[in-house]
Amino acid sequence: MASAPSKLYQDDASLVVALLDTNPFFWAAASLPFSEFLQHVVPFINSLLLLNQLNRVVLIATGTSSCGYIFDSGEANSNANANANANALCSGIIKKLEDFVGKDSKIAKGPNGNGDATRPAISSLLSGSLSLALCYIQRIFRSGARHPQPRILCIQGSPDGPEQYVAVMNSIFSAQRSMVPIDSCIVGTQHSAFLQQASYITGGVYMKPQQLDGLFQYLAAVFATDLHSRNFLRLPKPVGVDFRASCFCHKKTIDLGYVCSVCLSIFCKYHKKCSTCGSEFNQGTVDSTTREQKR
Amino acid sequence: MPQVRIVARNFMDMVAALPAAKLDKLYDSSFICEAVLRSLPPLAKKYVLQMLFVDFPMTAKSMEEWVLPDGISKHKVAIDRLLQLRVFIEVTDRKKEPSYKMNQKFQSNMQKYLISGGTLPREAMTLNAVVRLPSVEELDTYALEQWECFLLQLINSSQVEKPTSFSSSMMRAFQRGLLSSSRDNEAPRLTESGFQFLLMETNAQLWYIIREYISSAEERGMDPTDLISFLLELSFHTLGQAYSANTLTEVQRLAIKDLADLGLVKYQQGRKEGCFIPTKLATNLSVTLSDASSRKEGFVVIETNFRMYAYSSSRLHCEILRLFARIEYQLPNLLVGAITKESLYNAFENGITADQIVSFLQQNAHPRVAEKTPAVPENVTDQMRLWENDRNRVDMTPSHLYEDFPSKDLFEACCDFARDYGCLLWEDTKKMRLIVKGELHQQMRDFLRGQR
Repeated sequence: MASAPSKLYQDDASLVVALLDTNPFFWAAASLPFSEFLQHVVPFINSLLLLNQLNRVVLIATGTSSCGYIFDSGEANSNANANANANALCSGIIKKLEDFVGKDSKIAKGPNGNGDATRPAISSLLSGSLSLALCYIQRIFRSGARHPQPRILCIQGSPDGPEQYVAVMNSIFSAQRSMVPIDSCIVGTQHSAFLQQASYITGGVYMKPQQLDGLFQYLAAVFATDLHSRNFLRLPKPVGVDFRASCFCHKKTIDLGYVCSVCLSIFCKYHKKCSTCGSEFNQGTVDSTTREQKR
Repeated sequence: MPQVRIVARNFMDMVAALPAAKLDKLYDSSFICEAVLRSLPPLAKKYVLQMLFVDFPMTAKSMEEWVLPDGISKHKVAIDRLLQLRVFIEVTDRKKEPSYKMNQKFQSNMQKYLISGGTLPREAMTLNAVVRLPSVEELDTYALEQWECFLLQLINSSQVEKPTSFSSSMMRAFQRGLLSSSRDNEAPRLTESGFQFLLMETNAQLWYIIREYISSAEERGMDPTDLISFLLELSFHTLGQAYSANTLTEVQRLAIKDLADLGLVKYQQGRKEGCFIPTKLATNLSVTLSDASSRKEGFVVIETNFRMYAYSSSRLHCEILRLFARIEYQLPNLLVGAITKESLYNAFENGITADQIVSFLQQNAHPRVAEKTPAVPENVTDQMRLWENDRNRVDMTPSHLYEDFPSKDLFEACCDFARDYGCLLWEDTKKMRLIVKGELHQQMRDFLRGQR
């Protein structure tokens, strides 16, 4: 019989926050054009909404210097007539995306109109969209009513931005704390160390589809699986996880480095004083024996 | 015993029990496909999605590889369900291996849904100024009132001021199984399942009634397929929008009148044409197929001193609470009562279990107490279960006592005979007496006669 009121639905109802990479630098060179990519994603969103009437899907676009909400099925349903008509849904998404990309490129150019020459913007603002997703999930958690089980799906193409290392790791740990799995689907050419770690730590699925023209099938077969069914299904397992960290001083991905003994900040070069916590390192010997291996 | 419950839960069983041809005809409508898909167990839904764009049959063996060893039982359940509902169709390939293929109609309907999205079953009416649409709240109250009125009539036909227009024969069909009338002049009494029915959630009750409605319609010569498809279709209409009755078929038009009586739709007669407005009850129909997640606000507060306060003016609530509590006084919006040993014994005698009462109280707990855990004080629930156990302390079995055996051998033979049938309750070797369950008496006599 119905159990004591719990805040989570017992069944397979899920809240999926999907992060779409809209980095123009990536999509310009990608083997799969963005429009075709959307033709895989929109049916995927439809299928999630089809599986359970309590399912909710939120789309967040990850740009190069900003991120924004593109679509929220919860809001769409409250508007009386938008009853999941995919044509309307699709054109709505495309329009929002266009607006977003336009705004995003304006921000990237900076107020003066000339590009920010110091930062080549080839990576997307993953940390921002992850935080946005987690904020949204927290809002759902606190809304009081019963809510579906949340999870995050990153569809990422562009390479990692090592300068976001700290922010991304912080988001990953807060996702872990609130038991939100982060799934990652890599549509780019190279693996993403950030997302490998994210999925590994939060218990999500990390996958890099071999054939992008069958993206929908990958999405439907793997990433549409609700958390309840994951207990019973064989899902792709991570082959290897790249645990390399970025140093805090130059934001470079490093294999070996120095770690502050007080606050565990990571540096690629020896410093007299930790730039994060300010503790002074009195031993100044720089030979290879003091170099610590960092996972 | 708790038959009603099971029956009410699985409306889809009824769909599954339809003959294959009719089931395939049902899948012509994409709404039914959608409703069926949503009613499936999570794993089965997943399989449907996975197979949706696969055109060739998949062997059962390769499907088993999808699941972990722990999930194999769930996998079987999912596959069985899919086969029952003919979403998957078993085919044997050249190698004689069983493989599954998706039902083509189902597949193409769902593919269409994914690519172009769902459509509405019928266009909502554009409103002219003459017809005023009721607000969602008004509609909710209307639906609830109608439903309660119906239930009240169901359990106690004499008390209703505003009877629904169901013919008495139809009403009797609903009452079948819930009420038993021993003699015509006597007022019918609720049966065990009837009591359990009253304690169920609204949606479970609704499905029970709908089921009965459909099977009674079948007896009247209507095709259940049409009704099922219409009901499922109805659940995809937008809440609170008016739909023209002219778009309905003959069968549907007949059904809509009855559904209005149940509170599923509100029927409004306009100047030229009638229109119907689906209520919450109708739009929740397909939702509740899988789980009962929509909750209504509760009204009962139970205190640790066994006093009960029910903030409700509904006659139906009063009737239900009267099943297991002593109502002391009734104020315009409040019922005050107490749960006593006597009142509970009444309930137990009617076949209600303590667990059912506890779950009813929990489900209908007033929001103020529902926040607390447990919503019903523990001492009350424990005491209720203790009282129930009290009744079960003595178990009665009709039986026969045999004594004065002429010889030890005969006594032993009798004991063995009874033991073989599992009917030996007690034996005393010294005094040569044994007690045997009543149902074996006749055979026992024959046996004794044969021994002589």
